[in-house]
Amino acid sequence: MTLEELKEKMSRAHYVYDDTLATVLYVALTLGRPLLIEGAAGVGKTEVAKVMAAALNRELVRLQCYEGLEESKALYEWNYQKQLLAIQVNQSEDRDALTKSLFSDEYMLERPLLKSIRSEKPVVLLIDEIDKADEEFEAFLLELLSEMQVTVPEVGTIRAKTTPFVVLTSNRARPLSEALRRRCAYLYIDYPDLDKELAILREKLPHVDDRLCAQVALAVQKLRSQEAILKKPSIAETLDWAAALDALGIRELTPDALRQTAGFVLKNNEDLEVLESEPVTRELTGHCGHCGEHTHD
Amino acid sequence: MTDPGVYLTKLSAFSRLLRMKGLPVGPGETADAARILTDLGFEDRERVKTALRTVYAKSREEQLTFDRVFDGYFLPEEAMRAQAREQAEQEVKQQEQRRAAREELESMSSQVSLSEAQQETYALMSEEARQRLRSFMDRYRGNAERNPALYSEFIHSVFARTIMEQQMLMEDAGQGCEGLDPELGILYRDISAFQDNEIPRAIAAIEAVAQRINGELSARKRKTGRSGKLDFRRTIRRGLETGGVNYRLCFRRRPPRRKHLVVLCDVSGSMVQFSEFALRFIQSLNRVSENSRVFLFSEKLMEADAFRLQNMDRFREYVKESGIYGRGTDLGTALESLCACKPAVLGAGATLLILSDTKTIDQQRALRALGEAKRLSGRVLWLNPIPQGKWKYLRSVAAFSSVCAMLPCSTLRELTGACRRLSVNG
Repeated sequence: MTLEELKEKMSRAHYVYDDTLATVLYVALTLGRPLLIEGAAGVGKTEVAKVMAAALNRELVRLQCYEGLEESKALYEWNYQKQLLAIQVNQSEDRDALTKSLFSDEYMLERPLLKSIRSEKPVVLLIDEIDKADEEFEAFLLELLSEMQVTVPEVGTIRAKTTPFVVLTSNRARPLSEALRRRCAYLYIDYPDLDKELAILREKLPHVDDRLCAQVALAVQKLRSQEAILKKPSIAETLDWAAALDALGIRELTPDALRQTAGFVLKNNEDLEVLESEPVTRELTGHCGHCGEHTHD
Repeated sequence: MTDPGVYLTKLSAFSRLLRMKGLPVGPGETADAARILTDLGFEDRERVKTALRTVYAKSREEQLTFDRVFDGYFLPEEAMRAQAREQAEQEVKQQEQRRAAREELESMSSQVSLSEAQQETYALMSEEARQRLRSFMDRYRGNAERNPALYSEFIHSVFARTIMEQQMLMEDAGQGCEGLDPELGILYRDISAFQDNEIPRAIAAIEAVAQRINGELSARKRKTGRSGKLDFRRTIRRGLETGGVNYRLCFRRRPPRRKHLVVLCDVSGSMVQFSEFALRFIQSLNRVSENSRVFLFSEKLMEADAFRLQNMDRFREYVKESGIYGRGTDLGTALESLCACKPAVLGAGATLLILSDTKTIDQQRALRALGEAKRLSGRVLWLNPIPQGKWKYLRSVAAFSSVCAMLPCSTLRELTGACRRLSVNG
């Protein structure tokens, strides 16, 4: 696949991208390297994996990381209850054969990582929020990421039937190990600029009025640049906000409309209090917060 | 199109250059880079840059280093010519400046022989500084005839001071800091030089770094939690869930060592900003702030209200209301009061952390009190906001650092390192 073909496929998946992102994805795909994506929460890291699955027409296998995530939840687990039942039912049979059969595919519960490498068709494997998992789990991933194989003590080494396209995301809650980074191609995603945000709004919400989209995109950019706002609005929140305004039949972002729908874009009380202040309202809407008229300064 | 072979040879040199700049680039990365360039072609400079960045740089910090090296190495032809032209012009201009300065010096100071380095310093001085020096030499010309040796020594000391001032100015300007990225750059700047409008950004940077350290520590904590002796009781109880088979083993967890932190914060005038930043850091570090007590001092000592410290945005207001802001610094009195506190604040399990620039009245008394505080507490650490390069000029720093460990904390990056050390070592 060429870079142009990849771009075309992403466009068909209704994804708004820039040249940098397309090139990075192409490089990772061509070299068969896992892609590590870092950036603030809500900039669209997970979306990249979803779009790649849609664009490449592959199944998306997702592993959500959390504190204490272990092999048994990520790779495989023996179906212990089923094994116990089998021992009790087949007690009279040949012991060696029974032991051997207990550690076969029949009793193995496949988890996302194993599923992704045993799949007959190549998949997109999303390892989401890897920074939330323990360092031990990170080390455990190294074999899979570099060799595309895993070792199960009772079975041996399982090699990938097909090579999945692996996407790892991190919010930088803790630094990842050098060993993991070295095995990946790297992408840092920042919040989109005004043009890209507007393009996303138009692509995802084609029914929403163009003027309203432009006002929402501009207001979100201004909110992100406010130092006092603690949780900067994400792209998903921009989309939610525009959809909410549209659902209420609002065609222009006035101070009243802003107050009614602020909960869709700002998600904590301190930030909502910042929005209550007159200068901020005026800056976001271009209207006077008290009388609702356009400001002329 | 240029021959790809030329570019591939350049690529290997480029990898070496990246390694020299601290990026861990191995043969694997170079091979990947060559493969992707052969595939993508060399026509589009931006595309080549993005592709190589993806292969070589594995973090945001590495991306910035990569961009700098790439822009310096793979120059467009016009830019390369313009740069060479500019460099040649600069060279000629500097030579001209040096020659003029040398002539000026020769005509002015026939009695004083100046070294090459001093002549160079003179050439680099601003016109204002040169004028000052010229008028000074004119004024004391009479002395030169009466006592040439003394006059020469005096002129040399003037040059030595100018060189030192220039060094200090360069350090203050944060030379070598990451100027390209404002978020990273702020970590390398002198805390005392922050403008008011930069403070929110600095606070955001502190919070981000503290969050990262907390994440690192909790990951380590979890890891160590699985070691230790086997807990038979819990293992057998858990085994009942799996029909008496001890399928999973449980381990005893070591009880955490209860250590506490006593922070002694200088809030006299210029120290407030540094103290605020350092306290923000300490408050953000879960493991450190759990057991900590904060004392503020200038001429006298007072304990900070833990509840009011929860809102660090109002720290300055709080300090001003307390009545100790803007007074002189008396570390001796503060430490004596701290040692005399009943019930005792310091003890074997306490780490005393002093945030101060070492400038205090009655240094001898302060030294004695510090010795006593060290005897009473488990460990004493001093965070000093004065840049380490200037420590050699300050006697107080040498005196206090002979008693306890002193860490430089003039930038947020250094402060991060100090807080990480504090946090990791408990």
